[in-house]
Amino acid sequence: MTKKREIIFSLVRGLLAICIALFVAMLLIFISSEGAGFGEKLRATGAALKQLLIAPLFRTGRSGVSFDVKRLTDVLASMIPIIFTGLSVCIMFSANQFNLGAEGGIMLGAFTTAMVAIYVPMGAVIHPIVAVLAGGAAVAVLMLLPALLKTKLDVSEMVCSLMLNYIVMYVIKFLMNTYLADKTKGQIQSYEFLQSAKIAQLVDNGSKLSVGFLVALVVVVICGLFMFNTRWGYTIRMIGLNQDFSRYSGMKVAGVIVLSQVLGGFLAGMGGGIEMLGRYNTFSWSALPGYGWTGITIAILAGNNPWLVPLASFFLAYLTKGCELMATYANVPAQLLDIVQGVIFLFFAAEQFLSRYRQKLVVKSAQEELAGKEGAKHA
Amino acid sequence: MPDEKAVRPDETYVVRMEGISKIYPNGVAANRGVDFRLKKGEIHALMGENGAGKSTLMKMLFGLEQPTSGEIYVNDQKVTLSSPSVAISMGIGMVHQHFMLVPSLSVAENMVLGMVPRKGMFIDRAKAIAITKEYAEKYNLHVEPEAKVADIPVGMKQKVEILKALVRGAKILILDEPTAVLTSQETAELFRELRGLKENGYTIVFISHKLNEIMEITDRLTIMRAGRSMGVYNTCDVTKEEISRLMVGRDVVLNVQKDAAQPAQTVLRVRDLEYTNEWGKKMLDHLSFDVRSGEILGIAGVEGNGQKELIDMLFNLNTPNGGTATVNGVSVIGMPQRRIREHGVSLVPEDRMLYGIAANASIEENVISDRCSAKRLNRGPLFNMKAIHEEADRLIQDYTVLCKTRKQHVGMLSGGNIQKVVVAREFSNDPVLILADQPTRGIDVGATEFIRKKLVELSRAGVAVLLVSADLNEVMELSDSLIVMHNGKIAAYFKDTKDLTDDMMGEYMLGLREQSAEQIGRVCHD
Repeated sequence: MTKKREIIFSLVRGLLAICIALFVAMLLIFISSEGAGFGEKLRATGAALKQLLIAPLFRTGRSGVSFDVKRLTDVLASMIPIIFTGLSVCIMFSANQFNLGAEGGIMLGAFTTAMVAIYVPMGAVIHPIVAVLAGGAAVAVLMLLPALLKTKLDVSEMVCSLMLNYIVMYVIKFLMNTYLADKTKGQIQSYEFLQSAKIAQLVDNGSKLSVGFLVALVVVVICGLFMFNTRWGYTIRMIGLNQDFSRYSGMKVAGVIVLSQVLGGFLAGMGGGIEMLGRYNTFSWSALPGYGWTGITIAILAGNNPWLVPLASFFLAYLTKGCELMATYANVPAQLLDIVQGVIFLFFAAEQFLSRYRQKLVVKSAQEELAGKEGAKHA
Repeated sequence: MPDEKAVRPDETYVVRMEGISKIYPNGVAANRGVDFRLKKGEIHALMGENGAGKSTLMKMLFGLEQPTSGEIYVNDQKVTLSSPSVAISMGIGMVHQHFMLVPSLSVAENMVLGMVPRKGMFIDRAKAIAITKEYAEKYNLHVEPEAKVADIPVGMKQKVEILKALVRGAKILILDEPTAVLTSQETAELFRELRGLKENGYTIVFISHKLNEIMEITDRLTIMRAGRSMGVYNTCDVTKEEISRLMVGRDVVLNVQKDAAQPAQTVLRVRDLEYTNEWGKKMLDHLSFDVRSGEILGIAGVEGNGQKELIDMLFNLNTPNGGTATVNGVSVIGMPQRRIREHGVSLVPEDRMLYGIAANASIEENVISDRCSAKRLNRGPLFNMKAIHEEADRLIQDYTVLCKTRKQHVGMLSGGNIQKVVVAREFSNDPVLILADQPTRGIDVGATEFIRKKLVELSRAGVAVLLVSADLNEVMELSDSLIVMHNGKIAAYFKDTKDLTDDMMGEYMLGLREQSAEQIGRVCHD
């Protein structure tokens, strides 16, 4: 199949998946919307859809539609953790390692960073850097577990990392409840971070859009270069595409499988740390935050390409904000987001989705090629 | 045509496949206008080398593949065999070479899989066992219904497979190389049972390339070569020699010019290499030979006689049970592929889609896979993209890879161009030894000629080449000297390929003749 047809196929497939998801969302909104008759329900659905699709960036009032900076910065701020988990999953999935540990990873990263931010006094600029790197390092070490089990004992990294998420969560909860909680507060939360550890904000409107956003973009560039312009990234991708070929070509397959998961862990941990220091004053997460799961959706949307992660993150952050607003103003449950995400995920992950259309394109290309050859023979 | 000779027009056929062609999505034409007919109650051999298209033909009869063109008639009814279940409902059953049984279940449970007798919510085991016993007795195929499949011998597994097909109502049985895994006693027993089935009116297709067995058991035979039928014969009317000529004869003679070889020092030295596969079959039997710098040593033989295993051992894709293999004095057994390559060994793998390329990566990414860490392609931590582009463009040009850009996915190229990508990489890294395993299988004439010329060119420049090929034309034209492998052993060594004839080769390849140990020993240049 020609490259052009391949791109057209990916585009059609992606857009169709999103359209189907939105259509399902519309149906659900319609069913759950309040109103007596069909017309009223339809009007309520329209209002809800407006919130979902337009409101994350625009405010509608009597004076018409106006751009809303606060809502934009909100969306951008919520991209920070999911860019990191998205990149993390991209790298691990590129090596064909279905490590689902980004979820526990982001929590452990946040926790470790918070501890360094509370208990290890340091200078102003250096403190957040050390704290975030510590968060990344902690998760990198954690990911050695599924990676080494995979390469040494052929344990499924998927199962191992998935279970690891819950181990991480409960260990952190145990540590918080038993040793680290600030007993003067009404809920389980840590002591406050030292002032020196906080990450500066870019805008002062309460959106929590911190310098972390810029760091995330820099990391996108680094990851993009790493995956496509270095021998290590190249090796990771080749192993993901064809492990037998990689081994035959003389690549260190086991080492790179470990490397991909350790790097993925590091990124997830960093994301957790930056989110912690950019948004909060204390560590108070008592459950998995969900950013890791979103990271998987992002990686799938981006086709494991780090360069597309910001775009996919923006799309999901936008949807999240839309659902939030819809819940607030249109009385539609916010859980709808999970359904929309789920449907998109389903169609992107379904290998056979549109496979007949694809087969048609393949056959067409093959026939054209054969016809071209025959023509060349006769000429 | 011999076809007319063997067939009277008034005879009826249970199966007629007419004008069958099969073109796979990657452009490989596995069958080209094949006619295949089965008479009721005959044992019909389908013969041909691997890659001749016999498996593809049978897969279409069993509904596993659909023909690109052509028609299939079962009992004179035109049918579309869209899946194996359709084929089974028409009374066609297939016993695959590698058994499709669940090892952890009992024989009886395997027998009734997919049609389980029930007692309420539960499986009626007693009934399953009764069914198994009934059929085993009826067809005189002895099995132990209650034994676990994992624990029974290979011969019995095969009987379970045959019974499975019979229980499902098969009247036409396709047996894919049924004796490949059997001992000679088990084979004799199988033949007795097959004759019993034949007397009961069953029709059997027997896929094989073992001449003696074909002569013993079959009534008629169809010979295939390169996707085409070479004719249908009554087994009693042809000799082994004729069959061997039809099976392994040469199609096109391409002329590759080459000067006389001037072999220098020994590069590859193989001694007493031994390997027994997981089914207990001896694939390499004390294999010893040398390949010298500046010569092409060809290995001829029907596939499955140890050639694949030999190459796997030399590139550490598998581990031998004994023996040594050294390249310029360094043992390569168990050495990581990276180090093997550092010692100057290149491999053009037989399975190019599995080992040779990553189909979804670009041409550029495929040609640098063995050298991505080379200094000249890196600048600090980053790739030197300019150098990589130049390298890719140079190889694409030197090896005339027909493509739009270096960014094109390799999987999108035609078979010949895919192989050129593999060869471009393997030939361009200053090798001292090239292992070329079926380097031109299934690719177009132009690419074939190009690759053969390159091989000769490199060998004349001092590279040692070990060429494995099932294509008789190829090994005979290209090799300076030649060994024939049969049953994991060297059946013959020819210092010179000039005076060899196809008929002679065929006889060695099919095990009808064998040289003396002294003659074969000359392949070691100590």
